[in-house]
Amino acid sequence: MSHMHENAMTRGESHHTRCVPALALALSVALVLVATLALLPVSALAMTTNKATARPNEDGGSGVIGAMDTRLTWEGTVGDDEEVSSITLSLPEGATFDHASTRITVLDGLNRTSIDGTATSSGNSVDVQFSEGIPAGSLVRLEITNMQFPADGGDYVVSGGYTTADGQSHVLDDSAAITVIANTPLQAAVSWLDAQPWVAAWNSNPFLGMFFKPQLLLTSFASLFPGWLVCLGIVLACYPFAIVLGLAFAMLKTSRHKVLRAIAICYINLLRGTPLFLQIYIMFFGLPMVGINIDNNVLGVIVMAVNSSAYLAEIFRAGIQSIPQGQYEAAASLGMNGFQTMTSIILPQTVRRVIPTVTSDFITSYKDTSLLSSVGVMELMMFSKNLTTTTGNITPYMAAAIYYLIVTLPLIKVVGIIENNIARSERGGGPRPKRRAVAGASQQASKAEEELTASAEVSHVEAAKPAADVFAALSAPFVSHPTVDLGGVADGE
Amino acid sequence: MASKHRHSHGDVPVVPDALSAEEAANLAFASDQTLTKHHFTEGEHPIVRIEHLNKSFDETKVLRDVNLDVWPGEVVVVLGPSGSGKSTMLRCINLLETPTAGHILIEDQEITGQSKTDVNKLRREVGMVFQSFNLFPHLTAKQNVMIGQTKVLKRSKEDAEAEAMKQLTAVGLADRADFKPPQLSGGQQQRVAIARAVAMHPNVLLFDEPTSALDPELVRGVLDVIRDLAENSGMTMIVVTHEMDFAREVADRVVFMEDGVVVEQGVPEKVFDHPENARTAEFLGSIG
Repeated sequence: MSHMHENAMTRGESHHTRCVPALALALSVALVLVATLALLPVSALAMTTNKATARPNEDGGSGVIGAMDTRLTWEGTVGDDEEVSSITLSLPEGATFDHASTRITVLDGLNRTSIDGTATSSGNSVDVQFSEGIPAGSLVRLEITNMQFPADGGDYVVSGGYTTADGQSHVLDDSAAITVIANTPLQAAVSWLDAQPWVAAWNSNPFLGMFFKPQLLLTSFASLFPGWLVCLGIVLACYPFAIVLGLAFAMLKTSRHKVLRAIAICYINLLRGTPLFLQIYIMFFGLPMVGINIDNNVLGVIVMAVNSSAYLAEIFRAGIQSIPQGQYEAAASLGMNGFQTMTSIILPQTVRRVIPTVTSDFITSYKDTSLLSSVGVMELMMFSKNLTTTTGNITPYMAAAIYYLIVTLPLIKVVGIIENNIARSERGGGPRPKRRAVAGASQQASKAEEELTASAEVSHVEAAKPAADVFAALSAPFVSHPTVDLGGVADGE
Repeated sequence: MASKHRHSHGDVPVVPDALSAEEAANLAFASDQTLTKHHFTEGEHPIVRIEHLNKSFDETKVLRDVNLDVWPGEVVVVLGPSGSGKSTMLRCINLLETPTAGHILIEDQEITGQSKTDVNKLRREVGMVFQSFNLFPHLTAKQNVMIGQTKVLKRSKEDAEAEAMKQLTAVGLADRADFKPPQLSGGQQQRVAIARAVAMHPNVLLFDEPTSALDPELVRGVLDVIRDLAENSGMTMIVVTHEMDFAREVADRVVFMEDGVVVEQGVPEKVFDHPENARTAEFLGSIG
């Protein structure tokens, strides 16, 4: 920004260099004149502006949003020897007083003086003609409802002028600035919803208005977004740790050493046998008591990771133990040691088998981050609770529900797809690689031909294609062989 | 585990120490000459020596004092009714089962009572083909054949792949190299399993009822592959099977086991056509 500005100035400089002395002179003369004129009426005798405020129009907030109806309240005190017959208030370009209605209150000391008037709006200013002159020393309050500030937002001052009974025009002091929030597309949408008759009808139903108020749903989505990110952040950060820990404890639990097994069993059973809620309380309130202060989000990640690891350990253990003994024997017969057998034979098969269960556990963990709201982690649940408290409406909770569902529903679907795919591939179905063309292998090929069962050639590819594409994309990191082309290109060897 | 061991400790038969290589070779040569079609060469030692092998599962004695010598390049077919201990004997040779007592020597090297690392080393020398194939289902046929070579023999990926393709071609499955086991028929899976074992170039190849889990029409293809290996590879093979025709055709020696004991052994013609033992005759009669 400032850079652009500089450029503009540099260009302007060369253009105006010659007339600088003349300009300076003219400016100083003008300044003196303006100062003199301005100083003259600004005596104790002139009308003063006391305050100008706008009513908050933010749903569930205390801000004033531009381009949305609000009420401007302006107060001024008439000078000691004046009688005011009209007041004009104006705001910067973009504000509008059209459709506004003005209420006039005149107080003489503590007495209310009944003075009427007519307000004429013209764009960004409003002119109020009083039916009779307002006596000196009176307080004038103008409440202009259904006016709007400029959409851009910023700090706006109310300026204007007044005429006295003797026909003289004066300039009013600028009011203190009113801070206006820029009108976002979201606010625009809310204003649009406000104006819709169907929304009004919808909200008039007590149930719909309380649980699914459209305007609030919209603003809730915006306000809850950071909380949703915290939820996702916590569960995504904790899960890799949970997997590593879980795998470690699964190994310990299947270990031959009694002590290691006992440690694993204690860890797993303690964590699975107590509520996560309790574990959260113990960690969040316990650690600070002994002087360990960890950032709430980090501690949240730790608690969630430790809790999940116990469940994952059991999932992995079951997965490892579901691999048939023959696999160990085959690996052993090739001379593989325990580590090689585990890493290249057993675990890769386990991974495939446990993906659905692990995904389900991930879903549970993601939902369980909501428990962290009870100890002040600013996650989804916390945000929606706060919003419901300020609005007295349940809709923010519904928005939170939607935020949970947009993660969990697709994952549930993915679990289904993976389960089907595993089941199908264990039956020998699913996409097949293109058969290799091997030169000189014709006599062997014919031998192979006689064994080729019909089912092996039946193409599941056609029917499975859409699902297979999705699956291929999702499972790509887990597929260990490089050439599952879905009926595409040959391996080229 | 420990208590089981203690319990059976009293039943462990006392067996004499393993013979020295020379002693054993001479003894075996003397006894085996008439029992096998193997062509003995001067100073040859048996590649596998089983002396007084005993194996019990809890109270059940599965093997009782089994003695067998297998010569380099010999094809030994082990026959016998179910539960006679054939498979257990085979599994003892690569220590998938731990012998309760007795000695097993491979290339004059005692294999019982060794450390784990040595066991893994031993198993490189002794390949095995299982009844239920036991292919690795997450790997393609080619990767199944490669994995032992790369992980255990530390061959380069290129070498392992070349060897894998060679062995897959030999079993007639080069065009299925990228298929995963569930996508192959049982016969094809078993042939991949054979290729996997052969690619390690073991000194001894064990077949544990390689065709028992197969549909009848798939048996021939697998037997053809084994026959081809027996005739052309010169590899020492011990085959446990129920395929009598195959045994007669391929075996240098047929061993008949019953009740954990070697009842009779000899060249196939003798065992099949003139069995000395009544049980052998009965078994062969019932099968044939």
